[in-house]
Amino acid sequence: MSGNLVAAAAGSTDLSLSLPQQLTVIALCALTAFISHLALAVFNDGVRPFMLDFIQGRTTRSATTAVSFGLSAGFIFGLGAPMALSTGVLNPWLVFLPTDILGILSPKKWLAPILGAAWGAVIVFGLNGANSFAHDLPVDFLTAMQQMSTPILFLFTLFPVLAITKQFGKVRGAIAGAVELVLVVATMKLWPNVFAGAIAMAVGVLMLIAFAVSKDLRQRKLERAERIANGDGAAEATPDDDDPMASLFSASATRLRKHLPLFMLLGAGVCLLAQMHVFGGGEATSFLIAKGDYSGAAQVDFYRVFGFIPLIATTALASGAYGIAGFTLVYPIGYLLPNPWLALICGAAVFAVEVSALSWIGRVLGGLPSVRDSSEHLRGAISDSLQLAILFGSLMAANAMGGGLGILVVGGLYLVNEAMGRVVVRMAAAPAAVIVGGILLNVLYWLDLFTPVKGG
Amino acid sequence: MTKILTGGVGKAQVAETVQKLALDGVDVVVSSDMDAAMKLRAGQADYYLGTCHTGAGASLGVLLGLLGSGACHTFGRSVPTEDEVTALIGDGKKVFGFGMDQIDAAAPVIARAIAAHGA
Repeated sequence: MSGNLVAAAAGSTDLSLSLPQQLTVIALCALTAFISHLALAVFNDGVRPFMLDFIQGRTTRSATTAVSFGLSAGFIFGLGAPMALSTGVLNPWLVFLPTDILGILSPKKWLAPILGAAWGAVIVFGLNGANSFAHDLPVDFLTAMQQMSTPILFLFTLFPVLAITKQFGKVRGAIAGAVELVLVVATMKLWPNVFAGAIAMAVGVLMLIAFAVSKDLRQRKLERAERIANGDGAAEATPDDDDPMASLFSASATRLRKHLPLFMLLGAGVCLLAQMHVFGGGEATSFLIAKGDYSGAAQVDFYRVFGFIPLIATTALASGAYGIAGFTLVYPIGYLLPNPWLALICGAAVFAVEVSALSWIGRVLGGLPSVRDSSEHLRGAISDSLQLAILFGSLMAANAMGGGLGILVVGGLYLVNEAMGRVVVRMAAAPAAVIVGGILLNVLYWLDLFTPVKGG
Repeated sequence: MTKILTGGVGKAQVAETVQKLALDGVDVVVSSDMDAAMKLRAGQADYYLGTCHTGAGASLGVLLGLLGSGACHTFGRSVPTEDEVTALIGDGKKVFGFGMDQIDAAAPVIARAIAAHGA
């Protein structure tokens, strides 16, 4: 009873999909399955390298399906599904990983979009059902989950500091940390309406990029000086070394450019999905979208892009298959756009630029090893900060649902998952524990063994 | 001396984990996928350990394209046994990918198998 009042008061948490939204998800799933069938793009970054052998005919469709299933299953059931159930919004692991598998699995071209659309229907109706069921429960864990957004936003603010510390040492890390802290406090004081971490995050990322680029430029100058000192012999050796990689990369880029119209359609679709505000692209974004904080979600996913550009570009150039969401830049753009038509246009334009620029991006990244390093440290730092934020936010949600008993159940389930070797991916373990804990508390409520903590 | 390169998201952690084992005849160096691909091709290094969220994307990346699937293997997010790794090394695998949340468990197993093979 009291739980329902809380849900009604929150208002923005009505996440049931309208008919046009349902049809969009189904159509997009059909498209992504078709594209995966043609081996033009897969969402799973881990599957992408394996697409090269498939494209070149050195391996079979069924063997590639097995690889795709093996690398994706854990993320569908261990990350995508618990995230969707605990936030009520869709995410790429739930939407795109199964269409990766279904597309590759499908023996015939016409069957791939049908299988994809079927999956789209399953998630649309499944999620709508699960959402309305969860909100009707006396202990409403979806509303409790909104506790997540504060720890996510504020701890995520720190990710550039972690990356700088790991890549460039304690001193620069400490400086970056101090600068960010000052900026957060200043933002709170001077612009109370802006998210406190917005400026700090931007400056932190710029510092990391500046450190990395200057290191690479210094290194390049050093190498040039060495080459001159050693005479001409060394200078001739370098371009020759690069050859196999350059030819592999350019063949892939040409293959992808040939299908530019299809990629533009894909970009339009993914951007539209983000614009509908029923989808969160990053690991933590779903919680922000569910709460209606679209500008917060856009910031988090925008900075996340920096961690993924080199990964997606190099795997795409090495394999000839692109990412279903591209560089994921269409996510933040989609969240912020005011209407669906603009989303379609912008999504198509962004994908056109990304695919056309791929070859150039690969060449630039090849010359900037520290920048590639930075992106790996960024991804590591994002995981580290979000892991803590999601764990802490889940415990806060547990506390909101059931006080000490809630913390005991949710924290306990998290620790058991750790002890069992992480059956559920670490990032999703705590939210999954909140769902299980929420169901358990509801059962206890029906048995008259538990009274919901507070009335809102 | 067997030279192992590490790459991917958890490369520093993998190198640290392997160094702590203090295995005889094994030298471990932090690298990156592009760099390692060229070094393995040129014979300047012997093995590559890559990590990322899936165990295959960032960790294998360019290596699979340049060295071919015959030299690469991913354990995904599972933890292999030393016998499995030894068998794979026997098959000519040089590049191993695994999940970054399994580094503590997987890296020592693979490194020990490599050391035993080299000895």
